[in-house]
Amino acid sequence: MDDLLNDFLAETAELLAEAGATIVAWEADPTDRERLDAIFRLVHTIKGSSGFLALPRVTALSHAAEEALDDVRRGKRTADSALVTAVLSILDRLSFVCDALGKDANEPAGDDGDVIDALAQVETEADAVAEPEPETEPEPESEPEPEAENREIRTRRDDDLQTDMQGWRSIRVPLPLLDSVMTGVTDIVLARNEFARMLRESGANPAVIGSFDRLSDSIATMRQSVSQMRMQRIDKLFAPLPRIVRDLAQDLGKKVKFVTSGGEVELDREMMENIRDPLIHMVRNAIDHGIETLDDRVAAGKDVTATISVTARQSGNQIEIMIADDGRGLSPDALVAKAIGARVLSAAEARALSPKEKLELIFRPGFSTASQVTSISGRGVGMDIVRANLEKIGGVVELRNEEGRGLTVVLRVPMTLTIISGLMVRAAGQYFAIPRGAVREILLETSDSVRIEKLGGGEIVSVRGEQFPLLRLEDVLGRHRDDGDDADDRALVLIRPGQDQSYALSVAAIHDHEELVIKPAAPMIMATGLYAGTTLPDNGRPVLLLDVQGILAVSAIDASEAGRAHRQAEEADAALAATRDATQLLLFRDIGGRTRGVRLSVIERVEEVPALALFESAGAIRAQIGDDMFAVHAARLPEGHGTVKLLRLHDGQSVLCYPIEAVIDIVHLPDVVEPSATEGLIAGVVLIGGDPVEIIDPYWLMEQHARGPIHAAPRAPLCRLTDDHDGWGANFLAPILRNAGYRIAAGADDDEAPDVLLCLSGDESACDHGTDAVPVIRLRATAAAAGPDDETVYRYDRHALLEALSRRVGGGRA
Amino acid sequence: MDNLYLVARIADTRVALRSRAINSVVTVATPVEVPGAPPHVVGLFALRSRVFTLIDPHVVVGLPPVPVAAGQRVIVVDVAEHGYALLADEIEDVCFIEAAETRIAGKLMPGWARVADAMIEHQGASLLVVDPAHFVTIPVVNAA
Repeated sequence: MDDLLNDFLAETAELLAEAGATIVAWEADPTDRERLDAIFRLVHTIKGSSGFLALPRVTALSHAAEEALDDVRRGKRTADSALVTAVLSILDRLSFVCDALGKDANEPAGDDGDVIDALAQVETEADAVAEPEPETEPEPESEPEPEAENREIRTRRDDDLQTDMQGWRSIRVPLPLLDSVMTGVTDIVLARNEFARMLRESGANPAVIGSFDRLSDSIATMRQSVSQMRMQRIDKLFAPLPRIVRDLAQDLGKKVKFVTSGGEVELDREMMENIRDPLIHMVRNAIDHGIETLDDRVAAGKDVTATISVTARQSGNQIEIMIADDGRGLSPDALVAKAIGARVLSAAEARALSPKEKLELIFRPGFSTASQVTSISGRGVGMDIVRANLEKIGGVVELRNEEGRGLTVVLRVPMTLTIISGLMVRAAGQYFAIPRGAVREILLETSDSVRIEKLGGGEIVSVRGEQFPLLRLEDVLGRHRDDGDDADDRALVLIRPGQDQSYALSVAAIHDHEELVIKPAAPMIMATGLYAGTTLPDNGRPVLLLDVQGILAVSAIDASEAGRAHRQAEEADAALAATRDATQLLLFRDIGGRTRGVRLSVIERVEEVPALALFESAGAIRAQIGDDMFAVHAARLPEGHGTVKLLRLHDGQSVLCYPIEAVIDIVHLPDVVEPSATEGLIAGVVLIGGDPVEIIDPYWLMEQHARGPIHAAPRAPLCRLTDDHDGWGANFLAPILRNAGYRIAAGADDDEAPDVLLCLSGDESACDHGTDAVPVIRLRATAAAAGPDDETVYRYDRHALLEALSRRVGGGRA
Repeated sequence: MDNLYLVARIADTRVALRSRAINSVVTVATPVEVPGAPPHVVGLFALRSRVFTLIDPHVVVGLPPVPVAAGQRVIVVDVAEHGYALLADEIEDVCFIEAAETRIAGKLMPGWARVADAMIEHQGASLLVVDPAHFVTIPVVNAA
């Protein structure tokens, strides 16, 4: 029985949350039959289940709502806002009763006559105006689900509620079960690693290792699927918002249109919980403080109905949630005045603030919106809490303010809380993880571009002219350096914990990158402010994840980038970066297993795509990445269904993907390069760490693919060869011109007007076509010009010829 | 079940722990230190893909900390959805104690006074009944 009740409660809570949004949409358009049907089905379902479970209050409430809604469906009543309000209060009462049920498993005693009567009262008033519509009687479209059947895992079509939602099916699984699956998989991964280590040490035969590798691959796939199970559509977060907007707008006498988009974006369940309150708070704030009163809106020449939009989108490794309103925006001066009033800022400090810093005042602790507290937003959640909450999960808050025209708050959160990419570092003889997303750059302390200075007891570091506060991880943690550390290994991790903040963290050594499953640490450990959680990497020894923001607070340094001496250094920075990049080589293992290198500067990024994203078309392999297609340098499609790593080479105009197996390292390109004898993929060979490494020639690579432009190239200019009597033009000249990006037409067999005429005979009269509109270049057979006015070009002077062509055409790719 | 107790020596004192508060008793390898954590936090260790926080009861009651020996037994408890383990000097027995818990007579060290709930008579000796959760949640006595 308990299971039945729990299922009922969970499902009802979910249905009620989603119903709020549907009802508000229905109120906006009472003729919307689909929504009405959806709400009707909802209360019908609740009534059915509650009758089975013997919950008289729930049954009575849902019955009253069902009756009223059925009357609307039959055309006996019209849907007006009074009715909607009455239905909403029934739903509210239902949630209240269900909450109480969840707490002590008994329906609380109480009288629901008030809300039920309210609904009936509306009814009598409405009866006077209601005009029965001659509509056919619809039968309830869905019966309540069979209750006696398997209630452990119930399938529920999501489009029961909203027919426009896509038709995927979902099943309800208890969260503990899901967690135990995840724990199980993590255990398997740990066991696999242990086993792999033993296999290696025992020198097992290749067949055993081969089949172990297969097992290992499927475990990796499974781990991935399991982490996807934790994901949930952000729709769930949006569902209660329309209701909140509606109620609040009504209370405040404002008219608000509320739109959401991007509900299909998926987010980790735990992450959802963390942004639920901030999101609701932002929306409330927007209505309460952002949107002007009706009079003010009219005076400002705005539409009386304000618009608030909530948009989610995925950008790279982050989810971006934008809450935009078209209200009055923030006034920096008013904020300053208030901050001074609230004593979080002195007048002298205020004068030193930039406009942006003035806006950021709303994030200061103590800067509450208290002076204007209404019952609505005085919920004790300040913007400082919102920001703190987001930062706790590695997110940031950004304000885009247009005074008088609206405010957009952007919340950016990392895509998952539970699995993040972490950088493992060592300090004081143990390992720590740093969230990769916060790492800007990693440098060796011994690097030429690093200069460390002691300054009044503290340390700062200049990296290519840019200054950062320097923290040593051992000092932060209150530990001593480990004697076993090699001073040459000490590295600086440049960390950007939030917007416009950065600092350098010095660690004893950089270990590697790992995908880490992060779990919260015990409260007394979190309370140190130094750690954001714990993780269990593959070796089975727990590792602490550093809280890059908390470290700042604990060390009490100002990591704000404002006012740091780095602007004048930017040029030096760029120049240094250029020379550095030019000599850095990315080492990788290509598909054939060979170690090769390519200059780092031509790599735009390394991309990992599913093998299915690669396809063959017109004899060339291409990859679809996002909305773009790129050429791939590969002879054939990859086998299997895993993922493929692609180096993205970028020449400033086009992109070429080069499939690789793995990135090995980034090294300095040695000065001695043994050039290869022939032109081709390999530009030369260098010795790196004693091993020969082939260097890819990006010029040649790009050249191979440049002729098959995927993005529509500008029309190649047409060059007509005339007086080509001996075929020299077609055989010798045309290939060069084609390479240079011209199309070639010979003779007069083409109707298209050429962009330029190439006259292959020096004789003036020979190609007198009389068309002045087309520029003409004459070629002469002799190297020496006939005189200073001679505009003809010697036919074997390739450079002059191409130059003349591009000058005449004003384009071409010469 | 209610009168099933784990009798152990923790922080140099024989105590009885109510068995329903206890998850399991395991042995640990060297824990991973947590720099900056309160002194009673010995470190972290993993047990079946869960990370546990190891607590030194000595520190909680105001004694100097003891080093962790490899293979030392710890008492695993769950407090507020987090896993903890208490270092035990010795695990004696799990047994039913028929006697009733009685009010603590006599004056305890301040540290013990804060973690002990009651006393119980077992095999001719008085044992302190302690709630393992107290070792986790109670602030550490400042070492004088």
